[in-house]
Amino acid sequence: MTRTSPSPASHALPPDAPGPHSRRLGLVSVIVTFGGLLFGYDTGVINGALEPLTADLGLTAFTEGVVVSILVFGAAFGAMIGGALSDRYGRRHNIIVLALVFMLGTVGCVLAPNWQILALFRFVLGLAVGGASATVPVYLAEIAPVERRGSIVTRNEVMIVSGQFAAFVINALIFNIWGESDGIWRLMLLVAVLPAIGLFIGMLRLPESPRWLVAQGRDDEALAVLSQVRTAERAQAEMAEVHRLAEEERAAKTAGAVDLGVRWVRLLILIGAGLGICQQFTGINSVMYYGTQLLGDAGFSGDSAIIANTLNGAFSVIGITVGLSVINKIKRRTMLLGGFALTTTFHLLVGLSALLMPDGSAKAWFILVFVVLFVFSMQATIGPLVWLILSEMFPLKIRSMAIGISIFVLWIANALVALGFPPVVKAMGIANTFLAFAAFGVLALAFIGKCVPETKDRSLEELEDDFRARYS
Amino acid sequence: MTVMTAVAEGREGDQALAAGIAEARLLGTDLVLVNLRLSALDHSGLPEDVTITLVERSGPGDRDPVDAVLDEIEARPGIDRLVIGIRRRSPVGKAFLGSVSQRLLLQSPVPVVAVKPPADRSP
Repeated sequence: MTRTSPSPASHALPPDAPGPHSRRLGLVSVIVTFGGLLFGYDTGVINGALEPLTADLGLTAFTEGVVVSILVFGAAFGAMIGGALSDRYGRRHNIIVLALVFMLGTVGCVLAPNWQILALFRFVLGLAVGGASATVPVYLAEIAPVERRGSIVTRNEVMIVSGQFAAFVINALIFNIWGESDGIWRLMLLVAVLPAIGLFIGMLRLPESPRWLVAQGRDDEALAVLSQVRTAERAQAEMAEVHRLAEEERAAKTAGAVDLGVRWVRLLILIGAGLGICQQFTGINSVMYYGTQLLGDAGFSGDSAIIANTLNGAFSVIGITVGLSVINKIKRRTMLLGGFALTTTFHLLVGLSALLMPDGSAKAWFILVFVVLFVFSMQATIGPLVWLILSEMFPLKIRSMAIGISIFVLWIANALVALGFPPVVKAMGIANTFLAFAAFGVLALAFIGKCVPETKDRSLEELEDDFRARYS
Repeated sequence: MTVMTAVAEGREGDQALAAGIAEARLLGTDLVLVNLRLSALDHSGLPEDVTITLVERSGPGDRDPVDAVLDEIEARPGIDRLVIGIRRRSPVGKAFLGSVSQRLLLQSPVPVVAVKPPADRSP
């Protein structure tokens, strides 16, 4: 229990002057790179590896969906378990274990003799991907100085899509150098072991999160860590801030299952989960996981499809870079609705091109251009916005539970789209699949227009009053 | 001697708050409000003539509202009355989410005053 007291005014901290500690903090950026890259590489590598893999292991449309989506199902559980474990045993400990699980999962996939074993190790890999998504950004935010916190977390998002892009490029290179041998997909998957080793070694050299140590009542150790990554003067001054944030985080874990009985809490969590579903039912990850096959179906040859697919990765990186640079200049709702209007338009254009144009290279190129524009508009708006709105929309005391449920639903929606995409394309064709995505887009527009609150430039108190007025 | 009131969400919470203030006035005691809500309590309606201590529910240790109230009673030896609001619940709702008021009635170490919102006072 806490007694109500006026919230302590955040006093100005002495600036974080450069010094010997800066190099230690520089390592943090390296970890960002490997944590994000791994997440991206492991989710993206299947795109490009899937074609030779399907031939090698004799996959059907359904087992293809299983092999791809099981990683994402694993990630849904990994995010939940990983969050709990990192609260209990510490961020650093958790990331080191995750790096080992990444290696185990990767090696297991590479050596898999059949699709069942491959699926098993893809699930293991998914646990690591989810765990990393729940732990790495938290660790970074907790150890970075407040002035650099935003840019480090943003950089993590850029690194995730860069990891996917890297996977597409490396797959295209491997495919074009070693050609169409059956085992080529094993080499593609094996590359993912490199960033895992980087993460492991880097993390061994980094200290535990000071905020986590404070939450455990280990103030002396927290101060020792801060002294490693800040100037001595700054480390002392920052302890009060670390305590305040640790207390805030504790308060964020107040709500539990009983509180789902409260109408406004329940509705707010449903809106959060709905946002996750809307983001995933744009089908962004159908392109990220199946882009090469999609372009092959559109009319590209195997060689050129895997090369054309790197454009999806490139425009994903460009999109998120543009998006993050404008994200704080436009109202959240405006940007989100605009994003869905664009993605839905491009879905329609992909669908209509596939439906109406005669087969041939013109059709293939039209589809490529519209898919790439879809990816760009998605990553410039809906992609980063949904995460941002989720982090802003929940009142403090329900935040931990509400974000946990929303992210779990988001991962499950991601997995369901990934599972369903190959059989649906096989049954209905590209045209109808993308027209269906367009229909989901219209539903998403209606849902967001009606239910999603504006969170930009509004204090949590204002938001809370608004929710209570609307829903209780 | 002190009266404690557990303020839950909804009308039954408002009802408990009003009854708690009345009880404290009647007994001439202080009042401890335990805010079980997940948002701040509206301070504007609180009277001046009763000494009120506001206790917030906060952190994973208070995740269960019943534990939050019982721990607070234990931590304050002066409490000799607990005021709560109750309402009708569907059997399904009770099965899934349990009943906070039922558990408080059964587990409170001090006498409990249970008040109902007006609409629930059926014959």
